[in-house]
Amino acid sequence: MIWVVLLVVLVPFTSAGLSLLVGHGGEVAERGIAVGAGALGLALAGVVAFPHLGDATPLAHVFAATTAAGPPIELAFYVDPLSAVLLLLAHTVAFLVQVYSLGYMHGDPRYPSYAALVSLFTGAMTLVVVADDLWVLLVGWELMGACSYFLISHHWELPEARAGAVKAFLMTRTADLGLLFAILVLGLRFDSYRISTVMAAIADGGFGRDDLWLPAVLLTAAVVGKSAQFPLHTWLPDAMPGPTPISALIHAATMVAAGVFLVARTYPLFLSAPAALNLLALVAAVTMLLAAFYALFTSDLKRVLAWSTVSQLAYMFGALAVGAWSAGVLHLLAHGAFKALLFLAAGAVVHAVGSTSMTAMGGLRDKLPDTFLTMSIGFGALAGVVPLVGFFTKDAVIGATWDAALHGRLVWPWLAWLLFASAVVTAVLTVAYSLRAWLMVFLGSPAGADLAEGEVPEIAEAPPSMKVPLYLLALPTALGGLVVVYPEAVLGSGEYHLLHPELGLVMTVLVALTAAVVVRAWRRSGGRDPWRPRVLPQPQVDRVYDIGLVRPVMRLARLARAGDRDVIDAYADGAAAGAWGLGRVLRLAQNGNVQGYLMVVVVGACALAVVAGVVA
Amino acid sequence: MTVVEVLFLLLGLVAAGSALLVVTTRTMVHAALWLVVTLGAVAGIFLLLAAEFVAWVQILIYVGAVVVLLLFALMLTKAPTGPQPDLDARRALPAVAVAGLVLAVLGTTVVAGFHGVELDLDGAVVGSAQTTGATIFQQWVLPFEVLSVLLLAALVGAIVLSRGTGRRGGE
Amino acid sequence: MPLWWPLLLSSLLFAIGVYGVLVRRNAVLVLMGVELMLNAVNLNLVAFDAYFRDVLHGGQTFALFVIVIAAAEIGLGLAIVLLVFRTHGQIDVDTMRELADREEPAVAER
Repeated sequence: MIWVVLLVVLVPFTSAGLSLLVGHGGEVAERGIAVGAGALGLALAGVVAFPHLGDATPLAHVFAATTAAGPPIELAFYVDPLSAVLLLLAHTVAFLVQVYSLGYMHGDPRYPSYAALVSLFTGAMTLVVVADDLWVLLVGWELMGACSYFLISHHWELPEARAGAVKAFLMTRTADLGLLFAILVLGLRFDSYRISTVMAAIADGGFGRDDLWLPAVLLTAAVVGKSAQFPLHTWLPDAMPGPTPISALIHAATMVAAGVFLVARTYPLFLSAPAALNLLALVAAVTMLLAAFYALFTSDLKRVLAWSTVSQLAYMFGALAVGAWSAGVLHLLAHGAFKALLFLAAGAVVHAVGSTSMTAMGGLRDKLPDTFLTMSIGFGALAGVVPLVGFFTKDAVIGATWDAALHGRLVWPWLAWLLFASAVVTAVLTVAYSLRAWLMVFLGSPAGADLAEGEVPEIAEAPPSMKVPLYLLALPTALGGLVVVYPEAVLGSGEYHLLHPELGLVMTVLVALTAAVVVRAWRRSGGRDPWRPRVLPQPQVDRVYDIGLVRPVMRLARLARAGDRDVIDAYADGAAAGAWGLGRVLRLAQNGNVQGYLMVVVVGACALAVVAGVVA
Repeated sequence: MTVVEVLFLLLGLVAAGSALLVVTTRTMVHAALWLVVTLGAVAGIFLLLAAEFVAWVQILIYVGAVVVLLLFALMLTKAPTGPQPDLDARRALPAVAVAGLVLAVLGTTVVAGFHGVELDLDGAVVGSAQTTGATIFQQWVLPFEVLSVLLLAALVGAIVLSRGTGRRGGE
Repeated sequence: MPLWWPLLLSSLLFAIGVYGVLVRRNAVLVLMGVELMLNAVNLNLVAFDAYFRDVLHGGQTFALFVIVIAAAEIGLGLAIVLLVFRTHGQIDVDTMRELADREEPAVAER
């Protein structure tokens, strides 16, 4: 079995290498490698994951270890229910993205590198999920950052794609320093880099409440950057110029999910560090509300989804902050399913319309029936409509914050109340922006309605390779609620408090009321945007970075450049100028007059004779 | 003061004076002729210093061959026979300084090194043709033969250089 | 006779030869300066030969050799002078400046 785990890690990497190697060797070959490796990876992930769901004993194995001084760095793998479900999620989404990309990226000249990077991304996420050594985890973690950089800048001819890629890379890299230092601190404290060993030591107790705040806070910083939480949230919406399947991959299964996964994996550490939990709760409360507001007022479909991701990730962190581990993890899984669905469906819409602006859409229900059906399920899950998976997991999260506010001990009570209020308001806002996007895209009058006949662009449904993944994702989105009802089957037996019927009733009423208000506003606007989109003061955070970080760094760079040019180069230039001047002087002697030369020779001989006579 | 000393001083004065004229005269042919006087005076000094054979060779080769060669060269290069105002370059002063430096170094060395040393010429072996010939063909025969090869090389070189045209065409 | 008399005369002749070589513009006259220097050396050799009463007559023999070499030298030198005259039309040493470095270097100032 453990060799299958190794294979699951290796297959995506091998596929990436093969894709690059085959390159433009042939469409069939490169597509076959990408999709075949995706299918193989999914099958192997299933082989690994299914036996480890539920109450199975975790699988741990060390393949190799360094023998140098200090705690050993081990190529160690660890598969427990958490790893298993995330493995399934990552490989399912990756496989569906590869299939979807057959249609979406058809005819793209950079398809080989694209497919290779998607495989590499999957492999990196797999490494993070199954790693039992903090350094191995860091390798996968950083690989994902690099892959996201390359994939966001896939259309590198667009300046905003380049800028978004650089921004994503710099912000996540800065936050990754937190992970690096956390690893070093943990290694020093526990004399081991193995996650299972460290977590077992923490769970055994013996550490005071204030003993572990430093590594926990450092890890919080890392996941805040990776999962795009306030105040490092601005990179995710700016990463939207990347291809839409990539957004699905990043937002649902890999990049941002890794942050939540890391907290869930090192959860004993967080439970022993109230400072980190309080910080996490505060960040989550601020982020979910902020992101929901941005989603409410943007008119770009992909940006709506991006902001919703930030907001939903904040839900997960909120749940984890108040001790509801299972609620956070289940919401991560549910979000992975419906956000992948939403992004792939949005990709189908963008593919058909040719624009990401919602004002250019409208009335697409009849033209894109399959997309309409699946994306409606996705939006419903995002908004928390009753039978869909989003309703159950979001209910579990809000219920957890309610419990924490009433009698929680992990975070300060006022923070728990703030988190609860924030979660409820965000749920209402989520309904509003989901419904708005759904109405603007699929209902109402088509964007080209006031154009003359014939000028209306032809809009056709996506090819089957894009439609099939949508339906495959719609299935768990619709039925995933069962997992919340029977969590023991997935996460193993234990005490679960996931269902809050009375809260669910209240939330459903709230959802219905909000929907009614939004539909009313939409009707009044004549089937267009229910309210005026406006640019919220979102750039403010970026401006803080700009003034506080970017400008000083640029100034420092200018200073360094000036120092290089005016001080360091001055020596080199001075040496050159000196040699030049000396050459000019010496050239005067080389006047071609033999007798002049001879004169110097005679004087030199005399001088030598005198020196010899004096010395001898 | 012995006769030899008087003769040496006279010949030395003649040699030095004519040598100065060689390097300062404005007429080129005169320079060659003053060179004859210098070389002759030096040959006389050789006689005083018991180097009989060297003196005659000096007269034969230098006065007889070299100076004639120099005169031929002057004629072949169409040297004007009258006095030339610009025969010297405009660096007489540095040249005088350098020559003075050479004289100072050499003169100081010999005077300081051999001050008070007497040159006893009474009873010295006179380098007649017989003694010199015996020495050359007994002790110095190998350098002598090497020198003959050198002369041959110089001969060939002179012919090649003065043949001029032909392969050096276009000049 | 003090030994330094012929030696000083030799030095004097050598210095005069140096002056002639340095100052004359006509190549033939330069060669005459060279002859003066060679003769000064010969005088030196002969004087030391007499002083050491050399049984092998090394000084005199070397004076003879120097005379021979001088003859060869003057032959080659005059051949070169004639060649120069044929190519340049004159034998003014001052105008032969082919050795001068007067080309501006290819690398320009930055």
